[in-house]
Amino acid sequence: MSNQRQASSASQVPHLSPAELSYLYSSLSLPKTPIRPDGRSPTQFRPLTAETNILPGTNGSARIGFADGTQAIVGVKAEVEKTVLANETLARNDGGAGLDRGEQEGSAAVGGHGSWVQMSIEIPGFRDDDALPVFLSEMMRESLVGAVGTREASDMAGGLKERLVINKRWHWRLYIDVLLLSQPLAYPLPLLSLTTHLALLSTKLPKRKSQGEEDPFFDDDWAVAEYLYPRPSLSSGKTNSTGSSFVRPPVTLLVISVGENIIFDPNREEIAVADAVLAISITRDSEAGTLKLLSIRTVDPPSRLTQPGVPNSENVSMLGAVAPTEDVAVLNPATGEEEVPGVWRPRRGGVKRSVIAEMVKTALKKGGVGEEVLEGLEGVEVS
Amino acid sequence: MPLDTSTTYPLTKLRLDGRRWNELRLIQAQISTNPASSGSSYLSMGNTAIMCSVHGPAEGRRGDASGTAGGAGAIVEVDVNVAGFAGVDRKRRAGGSDKQSSRIATTLRSAFQSHLHTYLYPHSTISIHVSVLSADGSLLAAAINACTLALVDAGIPMPGLLTSCTAGMSGSASTPKDPRHDELDPLLDLSLPEEQELPVLTVGTTTSVPVGENNMDEEEGEMKVAVLTMDSKLHSTYIETMLAVGIDGCNQIRELLEGVIKGSSGA
Repeated sequence: MSNQRQASSASQVPHLSPAELSYLYSSLSLPKTPIRPDGRSPTQFRPLTAETNILPGTNGSARIGFADGTQAIVGVKAEVEKTVLANETLARNDGGAGLDRGEQEGSAAVGGHGSWVQMSIEIPGFRDDDALPVFLSEMMRESLVGAVGTREASDMAGGLKERLVINKRWHWRLYIDVLLLSQPLAYPLPLLSLTTHLALLSTKLPKRKSQGEEDPFFDDDWAVAEYLYPRPSLSSGKTNSTGSSFVRPPVTLLVISVGENIIFDPNREEIAVADAVLAISITRDSEAGTLKLLSIRTVDPPSRLTQPGVPNSENVSMLGAVAPTEDVAVLNPATGEEEVPGVWRPRRGGVKRSVIAEMVKTALKKGGVGEEVLEGLEGVEVS
Repeated sequence: MPLDTSTTYPLTKLRLDGRRWNELRLIQAQISTNPASSGSSYLSMGNTAIMCSVHGPAEGRRGDASGTAGGAGAIVEVDVNVAGFAGVDRKRRAGGSDKQSSRIATTLRSAFQSHLHTYLYPHSTISIHVSVLSADGSLLAAAINACTLALVDAGIPMPGLLTSCTAGMSGSASTPKDPRHDELDPLLDLSLPEEQELPVLTVGTTTSVPVGENNMDEEEGEMKVAVLTMDSKLHSTYIETMLAVGIDGCNQIRELLEGVIKGSSGA
């Protein structure tokens, strides 16, 4: 248990021998055609089932189950909270006391605050202040609050933070609770991120009846509640044929590089031999209809912690048994380190710029992985 | 603000959610919901929804003190997690577990430790993980039922289904029972608003084990009480009524759960 708890960003490292690691690495790093243990193509995701609005007691909820049995449930709850005015805002209000009210309201539109979105992740076997849940939730939250819409006219122009503002004195606080129902078989980031995406899409806030700076009160008819991520109204027209013109929450994808290859949605064994692990947050640019990059985080690759293999030339028990020409160190083109083929060397971290650029490009390009994932999620009916 | 069941109930004989005194809430259950575990279940009683997964029997963790203690039979571990979004208001917790969930965990552990045939699995651990998705009263009872289903799904031998239900009285019941004009009715399967203001008793029963030479001539439907928990104050004269109602509720639930188990095995 203590070992498991210490595993932070690296999740749980499977117990693989150096020989197995080396075998995995060399099959995954085959130029152009990596062979994955489960036979997927490098950009293929695991099959999943998804449903939304499963919990009547929440503002929005979703469940996603991967075919390997890992499941996550996300519930979103919203509460109205009084905005604590920062000193500068107060000072500005005092100074602007001479201005007429309308002008003041126009100029001092209160911006949202990132801390209004709270995220907690529950993983069985982990305390909620362990490194892994905290790191994961922060990674997903930052892209969520950082996403800013581009279209000036839409409600989501200021992103999620702005959407939570009710008026100067009140705002919504959003609690996103993520429940992983089974032990994480792989690094759970993609699962949790996709589930959160769906839960936020299905989240509704009650319709506000009060106006302007009044204390907020709401319509108690849930049928007229408004989506947190507003759908385009039919009257405004100019909807894309795909129906994807409204702002959607971002999605965080997990990408690894092995040698020159880029692999998406890795499983546990694949992460164990990765040269670099990247969490890439993307969202759809509502204006251009293309994808845009929100954030990149590197995740500590667990391959650093593995045991190295010993080449025959250095193995005392094999002394003299092999011809010295058999294992000649060659230069690994991806890491720039000298390695003996077939002998596992723990990755030391560090990845080439071109590889990172390639990862981002694969995720963002038209018809690429990001588009495929978002289209798949758009296919889930949000009622 | 307490809802006054005690004032409207005597007039209408209908409870807050429109049930009569002896009616259960709608129970929906499903087993084998999570292929990644040995056994799993989903159970909802009214608006209380619980998911449960069982891992094991498996070898206990190395370096754990329980590795030697489990020599006589399997050790049952229970982990209860009440989701932040389960209640009406979002609850924030410090440190990972609160009093309510750890009490439920302790009760579940002691109930199933003695209920299961643990002697068949020495030196092993059966770990049960309970997630409360939505809490609307009778949490412990729903958790017991969900665990029973998940343990059946995991194929862990037990003498009979351990089912549970809550029973309460339709008033504070702090004075001795008056046999001539008894105004209080016992209530079955309490929801959260009822649970908060009325005395409530959680009963868990199991069918008795047919063993030995009595095997043939045992009476059908004989059962024993396995779990009995009560937190509230109540005059002792009412206990018997509540117990009888609770046991009756357990029987109804047992039939429902048997239907779920038989129904899913055919599919």
